[in-house]
Amino acid sequence: MVLGAPALIAAGCATFPDSATTQRIAEKMVSEDFTAPTPALLKRLVQDRSQQICSKIGDARLTQEEAAEVVKLARASIQYPSSGKLVGNWKIGDDLAHDGAGDRIQGGRLEKRKENGGLCQNCHALAPDEINVGNVGPSLTGYGLQRGNSEAIAKLTYERIYNTWAYSPCSNMPRLGATRHLTPEQITHMVAYLLDPASPINKR
Amino acid sequence: MPTARAGIAAILLACLAAWGAAPALAQSGDPLGVGRKMLAEDNPGDLWIEQGKTLFHQKRGPKNASLEQCDFGLGPGKLVGATARLPRYFPDTDSVQDLESRLLTCMVQLQGFNRDDIVKRAISPAGSNGSDVEALALYITSRSNGMKMNVSLSHQKEYDMYQAGEYLFYRRSGQTDFACVQCHGEANKRIRLQDLIHMTDQKGVQEVVSTWPAYRGAHFVVRTMQWRLYDCFWQMRLPELKYASDASIALTTYLHYQGNGAVITVPGFKR
Repeated sequence: MVLGAPALIAAGCATFPDSATTQRIAEKMVSEDFTAPTPALLKRLVQDRSQQICSKIGDARLTQEEAAEVVKLARASIQYPSSGKLVGNWKIGDDLAHDGAGDRIQGGRLEKRKENGGLCQNCHALAPDEINVGNVGPSLTGYGLQRGNSEAIAKLTYERIYNTWAYSPCSNMPRLGATRHLTPEQITHMVAYLLDPASPINKR
Repeated sequence: MPTARAGIAAILLACLAAWGAAPALAQSGDPLGVGRKMLAEDNPGDLWIEQGKTLFHQKRGPKNASLEQCDFGLGPGKLVGATARLPRYFPDTDSVQDLESRLLTCMVQLQGFNRDDIVKRAISPAGSNGSDVEALALYITSRSNGMKMNVSLSHQKEYDMYQAGEYLFYRRSGQTDFACVQCHGEANKRIRLQDLIHMTDQKGVQEVVSTWPAYRGAHFVVRTMQWRLYDCFWQMRLPELKYASDASIALTTYLHYQGNGAVITVPGFKR
């Protein structure tokens, strides 16, 4: 938000703080104005380097150097499942894609779940007959039909779920594997859900 | 139980409206608007206004006092137009306060209530009769119905709050890498079937700042802006936002200032 000179003059000596002052004031709020059941959970508010870079205000753009750094950090973050298999079970992936629960904090308690949901349905169109899907991200309907299910596509798909910032720095999509929201094994099931010809997402 | 019944009927209507409108998703920019309009015309939240009015004038608390001497910025007891200018700087507390934090100040200072007790109960359980703060916030805001939001920045602390709010709106953290803007930075977006308001657009942000407190159909109670912010952080998997904290007031200052000019119409109606 840009204010013209007249507004600044009318305000007298009070005015917008500079960005360093703003950051100091706002970060103090972040450190004082939230509660969590454990100190470890409170650390969720602490930004990593990539999150700091990706928190551009207003119309500010990433510089090329910043984008390159985010990509580099993202590439370095990607871990593969111990089995080495990148394509899991599409039925488990289907359930995960429609599960938006896990790891939320309310009333001083952490939501207890064995594993977190995959959150896909919140933002992506999935199987062709599904109405209750979001549109914040691109449609995934027919994902495998359009790309096939080669090893190269499986690896790309795995990496894009694990840490999409390796391909789209600062994209709105969470780095689901890198932030430990999902495990590598869970991601292999989502890869199967996207690629398997038998998966509902690839129904014609 | 008329309230609960109305709530259930409202939800049924919302579902029917959403279902019927679904095939038109591609053509219409606001296919769920029909359902919303039907809901807004018969808003159960109206029932909370009377309750808030009674609470406002009743002598209550350890000091057996009403809230009639509470100053929301225009002078003691002057409510008409007061929330249109909130948040604002208050010299007596030397801080920028939104409606709910100011209400807390008065309930503590004038009525002698314990701050922690009020805060603990401020956000009521779903399906309950609601909290005192929710009813009071709605009543006080309703006294500005029909007036335009007119938040100004003049004290240095107001500028600081505004700028911190903007910073927080764009600050990404946690395991979802979300800031507010990830969901509220573009037009015509939805989480599943729920519309996401486009808050970096003036018309969008005006819709936000002029419709809280609102009746929340799924909860059968009136919810406030403090609840709205708290619930976003919950869904983002972040720690719990403290009620009436500076962080919450900063975000509200940022949004309310951006939404200046919006005509206040409460209670809003949310799904």
